[in-house]
Amino acid sequence: MQRLLRVFALCLVAVMVMGAADVQTRYNDLGHKVMCTCGCGQVLLECNHLGCPSLSRESDELKTALSRGDSDNTVLVAFQNEYGPTVLAAPMLTRFSIVAWIMPPLLLALGIFATVVLVRRWRQRAAAMPVPVRSPQFMAMREKIRKETEL
Amino acid sequence: MIVVACGLLLLVLLVYVFYPERHVEAQRQKTRLEYLHERKDVLYENLRDLNFEYRAGKFVQDDYAAQQADLENEAAEVMAEIELLEAQPTR
Amino acid sequence: MPTFGSFALLLSLALCAYTLLAGIVALRQLATGAQGQISPERLAETARRSGIASFVATTAAAFALVWAAFNNDFSVAYILHHSNRALPGAYKFAALWSGQEGSLLLWAWLLSCYGFVLRLRHKVDVKLTAYASTILAGIQVFFLLLLNFAAPPFSLVGGAVPQDGFGLNPLLQYPEMVIHPPMLYLGYVGFAVPFAFALGALMMRYPGEKWIHITRRWTMITWLFLTCGIFLGAHWAYSVLGWGGYWGWDPVENASLMPWLTGTAFLHSVMMQEKRGMMKTWNVWLIFSTFMLAIFGTLLTRSGLVSSVHAFAQSSIGSWFWGFLIVVLSVCLFTFIMNRDHLKAENKLESLVSRESSFLFNNLVLLAACFTVLWGTLFPVLSEYVQGNKVTVSGPFYNRVAVPIGIFLLFLTGIGPLLAWRSASFKSIRKNFILPCIAWFVTAVVLISCGVHPWDIFTTNEQGSFYAFWAISIGAMVVTAISAEFLRGAGVIARHTGQNIFAAIVQLTRRNTRRYGGYIVHFGVVVIFIGISGQAFNRQVTQELDFKQSVSIGPYRVECASYSQDSNPNYDTEYALLDVYRGDKKVTQLAPEQRFYTASQQPQTMVANHSTLAWDLYVIYAGKNPDTGRPIIKIFLNPLVAWIWIGVGIIVFGTGVALFPNMTAAFAASRSRAAAPSTAIVQGGD
Repeated sequence: MQRLLRVFALCLVAVMVMGAADVQTRYNDLGHKVMCTCGCGQVLLECNHLGCPSLSRESDELKTALSRGDSDNTVLVAFQNEYGPTVLAAPMLTRFSIVAWIMPPLLLALGIFATVVLVRRWRQRAAAMPVPVRSPQFMAMREKIRKETEL
Repeated sequence: MIVVACGLLLLVLLVYVFYPERHVEAQRQKTRLEYLHERKDVLYENLRDLNFEYRAGKFVQDDYAAQQADLENEAAEVMAEIELLEAQPTR
Repeated sequence: MPTFGSFALLLSLALCAYTLLAGIVALRQLATGAQGQISPERLAETARRSGIASFVATTAAAFALVWAAFNNDFSVAYILHHSNRALPGAYKFAALWSGQEGSLLLWAWLLSCYGFVLRLRHKVDVKLTAYASTILAGIQVFFLLLLNFAAPPFSLVGGAVPQDGFGLNPLLQYPEMVIHPPMLYLGYVGFAVPFAFALGALMMRYPGEKWIHITRRWTMITWLFLTCGIFLGAHWAYSVLGWGGYWGWDPVENASLMPWLTGTAFLHSVMMQEKRGMMKTWNVWLIFSTFMLAIFGTLLTRSGLVSSVHAFAQSSIGSWFWGFLIVVLSVCLFTFIMNRDHLKAENKLESLVSRESSFLFNNLVLLAACFTVLWGTLFPVLSEYVQGNKVTVSGPFYNRVAVPIGIFLLFLTGIGPLLAWRSASFKSIRKNFILPCIAWFVTAVVLISCGVHPWDIFTTNEQGSFYAFWAISIGAMVVTAISAEFLRGAGVIARHTGQNIFAAIVQLTRRNTRRYGGYIVHFGVVVIFIGISGQAFNRQVTQELDFKQSVSIGPYRVECASYSQDSNPNYDTEYALLDVYRGDKKVTQLAPEQRFYTASQQPQTMVANHSTLAWDLYVIYAGKNPDTGRPIIKIFLNPLVAWIWIGVGIIVFGTGVALFPNMTAAFAASRSRAAAPSTAIVQGGD
């Protein structure tokens, strides 16, 4: 058991180390997680305003933070503290904001569950129906229908 | 000029709206018979579809037979009622 | 002319109000059997004609506004703010919908067009059309009230009339902008028709499902318009906004996506009602919510409830829309509660894996997608209310939450057709699933060997290749499933008639245009998904380029041939001429521009794009370096984008096929004629 845990921890570390890629990748990644604050409503690295002041200031800050070796989370929190929560392109997994992420998948899961239950119920009800006795005329009618609907 | 244009528009449209029409389309409720014919068409179409899909290999024999029976029963019920209604003298 | 326009609008309002009131009175009298001074049928006829007349009056008003734009009548405030003398003709025409008042007028006019056609074609079912026409008149009255009292397009400028107007927003001076808004509005407005029919059918307790048959084409055409509108908007964003993308999850974009999602769900689930008499309540609510979402979308755009790049459309008329939405909801709820026993299903689902239940799941997933978009759009408002601060919900949120739902939907697109109507046993499923699964597996292996590693999502923050992997491999599965469906069906026909397989495919499609047209649409959706998944492999480079300097990206080398500036009455421009080489061969010359519009004093990027099936070389002139005076060029290499637009083309084609009436199933008809000469030939209709 302990060995298994150790292997697991090793994997975890490996994954985390892989996550801490080179500065350029991280810059690109984080630059897509914060918004440009000039009011253009675009993600920072996609802001295409001529000489946008927010773009140059924010990207400089980001570069400085990355060269300091700050973690992703520290950078994002620092941005949030400086510019307010709207600077993050998507809400972080904190307090109320976590609801934003949970609701859609939760609702989908609930919907699927409800549908499955509903279909099962319908099916049981359909199976319980008795088969009525048919007269010969009725069977003749069926025969006629079959002829008319053959390919 | 503008007043004339406005007046003309008003006049033409009012005449169009309130011009007494001799033949007015009646708004009648759909009869049971018409409804049954619609049902029959749909059921026939479903049966043809079922046949076609069976030929195309989307059903195994048992499934096909069961569903064909279901649909045929339903259609036969509808047809029986149609015959009954058509046999009655029209009021 | 402004006086004439205002008068026409007022007249139109009066006519619509008459249609609504006379319609209600007549239908009430017919329903209760009461008799007034004139027969209710005559009253209903005048109501119908009044509705038709309102189309003429609204057209006159729209004409007056366009006339004012073309004659540079700057005494009209709206024309002053949205046009100028130097503006090219086509854009003067577009000025009709480039501002709030004009676009509301366009909306009212389109609504009256739909109403006009509906009222002309009243003989398909006189009574049902009378109900629908009255309901539609109610909607018309709302928009005309807005136009007459809240946002009058013909209000005049106080004081001296200025010599020239302020011009059209340069972002909107682009060919697509001339067609994108009307398309989108045609889609939004069009849902009013199936909505009116559904509500009317429920009010009059219409027996049977024939009303679906009557509205089917309306719904499909509306859906097509909305689809085209959305993608034209995406294409416009791509070619004009110059940030290298086509979809930014902006609230207003989302607003157009929501009714599209519920409308798509409606198009599918309504088939179950038509064929099997099931899910009536569900369908009625789907179309109700689609219409309400279309109104809500307008509300979002107009009210400033959420911040958006479309903020130019903001104003105070949001409260009118809230009021209207509440009225619509109340009417729907009331009608539903009064008549809910009418919506009892005739059949029940018999199996968990039949096509019916696959429709049910498809609906569920579409609705979940719609909810996700709605949720993401409104979450900032909710967050402000609950925790006191606004948050941003943009791309990264939707990429993680909405995109997986979209891929799941793509998966359902593939398996739906494999299941037959009613139950399908596992034996038959297994038989039909083998081939698509093989296609999925082969594609997956090929993708992985090409370096698309879906597991990268666990080690880096990069989701692109994960999504691309699933989208492309499931896409291959869906295409196989659709092709198998065509081939299997064609095989049956070929065996029967001895035709070759191609002729058989054509005949198969003509026998059941809706189904096979639908499959073509699905194919288009797959192509779009593949196009979108190209995003995962986008590359970009920004560089300052002097004469004869070059920069390489992917297989291309971009060399600066020259850069210069120019000027005309509408705008000043700076541009660069860039030669594009592939190897040593010159492929094309691109000329990205930066314009500065004189009238509106606003800058605007003109993107230059060299599009091929493999990738787009998308070039932006990002301005001059003030120190060196040399142009800064931003280059994107966006793979597979062209396939998105091709996919839309396929969707348009597929919908066109589905709109065609079915050919009578030739051999079935001949057989039934031979067997029972007296029986009427039953026309097919899937």
